[in-house]
Amino acid sequence: MKETLRFGFILGIICIVAAGLLAGVDILTKPKIIAQEKLEEGISLKAIFPSAHHFDEVRDGREVIYYKALDNDGKFIGVAFKASGKGYAGEIKTLVGMLSEGRITAIKIMSQNETPGLGSRIADTNFTARFKEKSDLSGVEAITGATISSRAVIDSVKKKAEEIRLRVKNER
Amino acid sequence: MKSLIKEFSKGITVLNPTFGLILGLCPTLAVSTSLFNAVGMGVAATFVLVFSNLIISALRNFIPARIRLPSYIVIIATFVTVCELGIKAYLPGLSKSLGIFIPLIVVNCIIMARAEAFASRNRILPSIFDGLGMGVGFTLGIAIIAFIRELLGSGSIAGIGLLKSNEFILVMILAPGALLTMGLLIALSRLMGLTKR
Amino acid sequence: MRDNLLVSTSPHLHKKESVKMIMWLVTLSLVPSGLAGIFIFGLGALWVMALAVAAAVITEFALQAVTRRKITVLDGSAVLTGLLLAYNLPADVPFWLPVVGAVFSIAIGKQVFGGLGQNIFNPALVGRVFLMASWPKYMTTFVKPMSYDAVTSATPLAALTEGKALENISYLDLFLGNRPGCIGEVCILALLIGAAFLLLRKYISWHIPFSYIFTTGLLSYVFGAKTLFAGDWISHILSGGLVLGAFFMATDYVTSPLTYKGQLVFGIGCGLITVVIRLWGGYPEGVSYAILIMNAATPMIDRYTRPRIYGS
Repeated sequence: MKETLRFGFILGIICIVAAGLLAGVDILTKPKIIAQEKLEEGISLKAIFPSAHHFDEVRDGREVIYYKALDNDGKFIGVAFKASGKGYAGEIKTLVGMLSEGRITAIKIMSQNETPGLGSRIADTNFTARFKEKSDLSGVEAITGATISSRAVIDSVKKKAEEIRLRVKNER
Repeated sequence: MKSLIKEFSKGITVLNPTFGLILGLCPTLAVSTSLFNAVGMGVAATFVLVFSNLIISALRNFIPARIRLPSYIVIIATFVTVCELGIKAYLPGLSKSLGIFIPLIVVNCIIMARAEAFASRNRILPSIFDGLGMGVGFTLGIAIIAFIRELLGSGSIAGIGLLKSNEFILVMILAPGALLTMGLLIALSRLMGLTKR
Repeated sequence: MRDNLLVSTSPHLHKKESVKMIMWLVTLSLVPSGLAGIFIFGLGALWVMALAVAAAVITEFALQAVTRRKITVLDGSAVLTGLLLAYNLPADVPFWLPVVGAVFSIAIGKQVFGGLGQNIFNPALVGRVFLMASWPKYMTTFVKPMSYDAVTSATPLAALTEGKALENISYLDLFLGNRPGCIGEVCILALLIGAAFLLLRKYISWHIPFSYIFTTGLLSYVFGAKTLFAGDWISHILSGGLVLGAFFMATDYVTSPLTYKGQLVFGIGCGLITVVIRLWGGYPEGVSYAILIMNAATPMIDRYTRPRIYGS
């Protein structure tokens, strides 16, 4: 009994010290990490929606559903949103910019785990450029030899775009 | 001093974690697709190794044998988290390409093995040198594998492309390429007598 | 090979034929298919074969010379490996592709393990899978048959995988080899001539090829279409590398089970994996992977199918 208490006590001390150290490091690094994430998000949003001046997050609870793209005068010109679909090797996440009338401005692959040299070609501009200026995504051609990965991107973007279109329509 | 140098150098040669002990294979195989990632992983693991060895050695008379494993895990996990937060804040590019493998340093068996086999039985200074040597040995191992894989698989060194072509050996940057390279290098290091059979 | 003969099962009859002679006779049995390949795809096919065989032989010789082992290039096994590799390649690949594949087959697939008789996996397939993973673009671009001008075309199997019916290709075309595909796999007639020779002379037994082809046919009939029991099993048997693989590669002495019972298990396993890859996998063709996976399972199959020693 005494032994057990002593062990618990020692382990407790180690944990308390560790927790304290981690709390300190967290306080030091948190602002920097958040700033990095914001920066990266800003760069990506700008890349897929160059004509927008800034973006407003639209949240449902804590989750960001989509971003409103606003021009210099603060006028609503379109939306940006994330789509994700199951590719050949796990989730493919895509950031999409869409004008208010439903045309895609551009897309960017945010994360993917496809086979290098085959499926990973979905991240090349050669493929992502095929979405530009399209409203109907059925016409987007898949990459030869990487049909599963391409279809995952096309279908997920298409599905999410329709969902967001409906949502934006209802909210206005 | 001489013995300290010995503690340091054994991790690079005879007890090299990658080619001699054949430990810590998960990051070795997964992250060695590019030299940049490999060195990043190596330095992160070295940081954790040195500090966990230091603390565990310092506390070796304080931690009772029966609760040593949970204590080691808490200590190692703490340094891994410190490392992870640091990389996220200051090297976001590296953090993105290493992803889950930074937190996974916790379960890198090299660190646990050195804590159990060395730091818990030796004084602080030798333990630091042991951790440093093991870390450098691990970094070297993973970097050599990554160098070969990146060169053959994507025709570049540390992200700098050498040739404008697509005729590289794609399999080298896939999982089988990692196992092939690693197997051949282990054979080579044994053939040259760097590591023991 | 010598080691394998030592642990072979009874009856221990002695045959005059040596390993060397068997290797050369198997090579001979592959000649009709090679000639058909040249006829169908043009002289490019001959080049691919010549380069693969030459590279395999030179690699074997060089490695045995460097490691100061007995030089056994003339036993024909390197020639056979090179030839089988070439049969698994499209006809218009760049000249370096068969060379790289053959070097890999011999060096990594065979000599690393200690040479003939020691390798776990069929060396020719090791080479093919290496090329497939490294340069998928070249490995999946096929020449149109009888056109000789490098017009590329999708294989019947790719069409079958996508659920399309085969258009413009009859069963007779598939049987004679009038379809896009790898050099040595297309002409089923020529392959069967060689296979019949090997079977009649008892260099191979019927167990692996027949259980393999039967399993593939049966499963593709059951699951090969949207409704059950409606698959185009004839096309599944005649297209892809199934016939070549079943008779000439799955039957490799070194990498397949010793007992007939084990060979049946081996063949059924190959068929099962082939159909799974063809119908639901990422690649249209699964023969090479199926055989390699079952190669890995061979020691285990041997262990469980070994006949009981009398009295034990």
